[in-house]
Amino acid sequence: MLHEGTLSGLKVVELSDQISGQVAGSFCTRLLGDAGADVVKVEYPQGDPHRKSGPYPGGVPDPDWSGLFLYLNSNKRGVSLDIESPGGRAAFLELVAAADFLVLGQNSSEVDRLGLRRDKLSEANPGLIVTTITPFGLTGPNSAYLGDDLIAISAGGMAYATPGIPDSVGNPDLEPPLRSNTNMAGYLAGVQGAMASVAALLSKTIHGTGCEIDLSMQEAVAAVMPFELAHASYHEAKPRKPEIFGVMPNAYLPCQDGYVVVMAVMEAHWRNLMDLADNPDWAELEVFSSGVERARNWDALEPLLLEWTMAHTGAEIAQLAQDRGIPCFPAYTVGQMVDSAHVTERGFMVDMQGPGGQKFKLPGYPVRLERTPWQLFRPAPKLGEHTLEILGEWLGYSAEQLSAAGAR
Amino acid sequence: MNALPLQGIRIADFGQIIAIPYTAQMLAWLGAEVVLIETEQRLTTRIWPPFAEAEPGVNRSGGFNMVNSSKLSCTLNLRDPEGVELAKQIILVSDVVVENYSSGTMERMGLGYQDVRSLRPDVIYLSLGAFGRTGPMKDLVGFHSVINLFSGLASVTGHKGSHPRIMGGLFPDAFSGCYCVLALLEALYHRANTGEGQHIEVAMTEALATLLPEAIMEYTLDGTEPERVGNHHKEKAPHNVFRCQGEENWVAVSVEDDAQFQAMAHVSGNPGWADDVRFSTPEARLKHQDELEPLIQQWVARLQVEDVVQKLQNAGVPAGPVLDSDQVLSDPHMIERGFVQFPDHSVVGPRPLGAFPWAVDGGQPGVARSAPLFGEHNVKVLQELLQVPDVEFKRLMENGVIA
Repeated sequence: MLHEGTLSGLKVVELSDQISGQVAGSFCTRLLGDAGADVVKVEYPQGDPHRKSGPYPGGVPDPDWSGLFLYLNSNKRGVSLDIESPGGRAAFLELVAAADFLVLGQNSSEVDRLGLRRDKLSEANPGLIVTTITPFGLTGPNSAYLGDDLIAISAGGMAYATPGIPDSVGNPDLEPPLRSNTNMAGYLAGVQGAMASVAALLSKTIHGTGCEIDLSMQEAVAAVMPFELAHASYHEAKPRKPEIFGVMPNAYLPCQDGYVVVMAVMEAHWRNLMDLADNPDWAELEVFSSGVERARNWDALEPLLLEWTMAHTGAEIAQLAQDRGIPCFPAYTVGQMVDSAHVTERGFMVDMQGPGGQKFKLPGYPVRLERTPWQLFRPAPKLGEHTLEILGEWLGYSAEQLSAAGAR
Repeated sequence: MNALPLQGIRIADFGQIIAIPYTAQMLAWLGAEVVLIETEQRLTTRIWPPFAEAEPGVNRSGGFNMVNSSKLSCTLNLRDPEGVELAKQIILVSDVVVENYSSGTMERMGLGYQDVRSLRPDVIYLSLGAFGRTGPMKDLVGFHSVINLFSGLASVTGHKGSHPRIMGGLFPDAFSGCYCVLALLEALYHRANTGEGQHIEVAMTEALATLLPEAIMEYTLDGTEPERVGNHHKEKAPHNVFRCQGEENWVAVSVEDDAQFQAMAHVSGNPGWADDVRFSTPEARLKHQDELEPLIQQWVARLQVEDVVQKLQNAGVPAGPVLDSDQVLSDPHMIERGFVQFPDHSVVGPRPLGAFPWAVDGGQPGVARSAPLFGEHNVKVLQELLQVPDVEFKRLMENGVIA
C-alpha cells in the first residue's frame, strides 16, 4: 500500500546514527515518504535511539510507542539488520544498490568507517543519490568534529542571535546564548536534506547520473539566518544589540497577563498604534518621527510603550492591533495553539491512539499540495517489522538468504 | 559543473520581506530565472537597514540584497490596472508563481490562483501566509515574532524559570521557506512526469509546529505544558554553553555518554570528576548538573574557545564554538566548504553571504549572483521577454506604470 505522491515509485534507504537527538536523517526520509517515496528505514538490532526518547502514551517506556520515534518514522517501512556482520552488510548494500536514494544521518567518521561514500557505491548503482547529513560536513578542517543539535545551533550562529528581537522582559546582554528545547537544527537539516535530494533528482532527469550530497548541520543553521548575516555583511552591528533591528518598535514586551510582541515598523502601523494609545503628546516628538529614529531612541520609547501594554491583556492588544492591521500577538502556550479554532478548523494536527486507547495528537504536514495531498498512510514501523517483506520484495531473497542475512 | 537542476524554469516572484524572497532566491541559485516583481508603493527591506556603510539607499540594503540575489528586478505599479496586466503577462510566461502577500491581495488584483490557472492550466502557484489562507486567523498579520509566539516554539525557548523567548535569525521565515522550496521542487518533478501544475498552500505557523512533536503529544495526552530549561537536555548532561576568555566568547559542550564524560575529565585535568559518584552515570549527571556546570565553567574561564573545542573534539567529546554572525561569515571551515559566497554588486561591491548548506560532489550546487538594482531588468523583462514595443514602454514609464 503506497501513497500516491510526487515521489511515488522512488526507493529510499535510510541509515541513522545511534545518537539520541540526531533527528535529521530520519526527518529527511520521513519527508520523502510523505511525498510518496517507498522509504525503508534500516535499524541496528538494538533499535533506533529515538525508540527510547518518549514521550509514551501510557507513560510506560515501550520501544514501539515512543512519541518522537512515531513522529520521525511514519510513512516508512522498517528493516532491522546487523550491518556489522558480513551477511547483514551484504543485504544492506544490496538494498542500497536497488535504491534511488541513500540517506545517512551520521557523524562523518561513521560514514567513512562504514564505507558509504558514493564513490564506493556508484559502481553498483550509478544513479544513486547519496544524501549525507553530518554535524560539520564531509570536507573542511572541522569535518571530523562530533556534534549534536546544541553544537549546530551554537556553531551556526543562532544561539548567539537569540533572543531574536529586543526583549524588555529580561536583559539579553547578561544572559548566555540560548537554544530552543527541541531538535530544531535536526528538523531544519532534515527539510534541507529532502530539498537537496529532490534537487538532485531533478538534476538526474537532465544528465542521468546520481550524486553525493554533503549537508552540514552547522551550515543548515547558518543558512536560515540571512537577516543576521546581512548585518555582519553590511554593517558592524552585532546581533543581540537593539540597533540591529534598525526600525522600531519591533519588541517583546510584558503586558497585563503575560508577554506580547508589538511590531509597528511601517509608518502606517505606527500611526495606527498611536491611535490605539489615544495619540499621546510624545507620539509627535521628533525623536520618534521615523522607524529609524525610534530605533535610535528606543531607550526613551520603551517605557512609554510599556505603559500602554501593561494597561492591557495580551488578547486585548492582539485584538485591537490586528483589527488595524498591526502585527501584534501574545505568547501562546502549546495548549492555546493546539486548541485554537484556527488549528482545529485547518485540520493540521493528526489524531493518534496509543496501545491502551490513549488519544493524542502529533503535528501534521505544513504544506498543502492540491494534486497530491499529504496523509499519514502508514504508522512508524515496529523494530524489524518489514525485514522479510522488503528483502523479499526489493531483492527477491530466498529463505536461506534471509537466514544468512540474519533477518528475523 | 553539472547543469543546474532548475535551468529553463522561470519564476514570477511576488515575495514580500523575507520568507518568499528567501524561497525564490534558493530557486534562483538552483538555476531558475526568477523575476522579482517590485512595487515602488510598497517597499520594505529595500528601505530598511542594514545599509552598506550605514548609508541608506534602495540598492544598499543588506536585508534586501541577502534574500534577493541572482534575481531579475521588474518594477511595476500594481495599483495601476496596466501594471497588473503586465504582471499577468509575466505570469503567463512563468512556470511557477510564489507569493506571500496578505490573504486575498493577489485575488483582489486579479492575480489569484483561479485567475492564473484559467490562463495557464499547468502553473504551479504557491501561497505562503503567516497563518495560511484558510481558517479564522487567516487575515491576521504576523512576522517572525508573531509566528514564534503562536506556534508554541517560544514556549519551549527560554532560560530556566524565565519567560518564553523568541529565537534569533527570523527563523520562521527561512524555515517555512525551506518547506516551500521542497514543495516546489516536488511539484516541478510531478509536473515533469504528469504535465499537471497545482496550487500549494503553506502556513508559517504550521511549519513551526512541526518542530514540536513531543510538546504537542504531551499536552494532548494529559495537558502538560513544557517547562523552559535553558540549554539543558532531558537525556544529556553536561549540555550547555560556557563562557571562555574574553567578554562574549562561549563554547558549547554536549556529553552523550560516560566514555565522553571520562574523556572530558581527563583532558580538562580533572580526573577526579570521572570517579565522583555524582557524575558517574548519565542519570547522576542530569541530577547533579547544577554542581557539575560550575566546575566546567571554572575550567574553561581562562581558555580560548578554540582551545577548548580542540581539546574536547580530540578526545571524542562533542563541542563547538558559539559563533556570532561575523564569525559565521569569516569561519575558515565554512569558507573552505564554499558555504560563504561573495557575489559582487555594482553599488555595494562584493559582500559575503551564506549560500547552500550542502555541497554536491564536492562543489556548491549553484552560484549566488548579485542582487538586482531597483528596476534593473525592466527592459530585459518587459521588452525582451514580453515584447512590449519601445513607444509603449516609454508611455508606461511616463505614466508611472513602470517605476
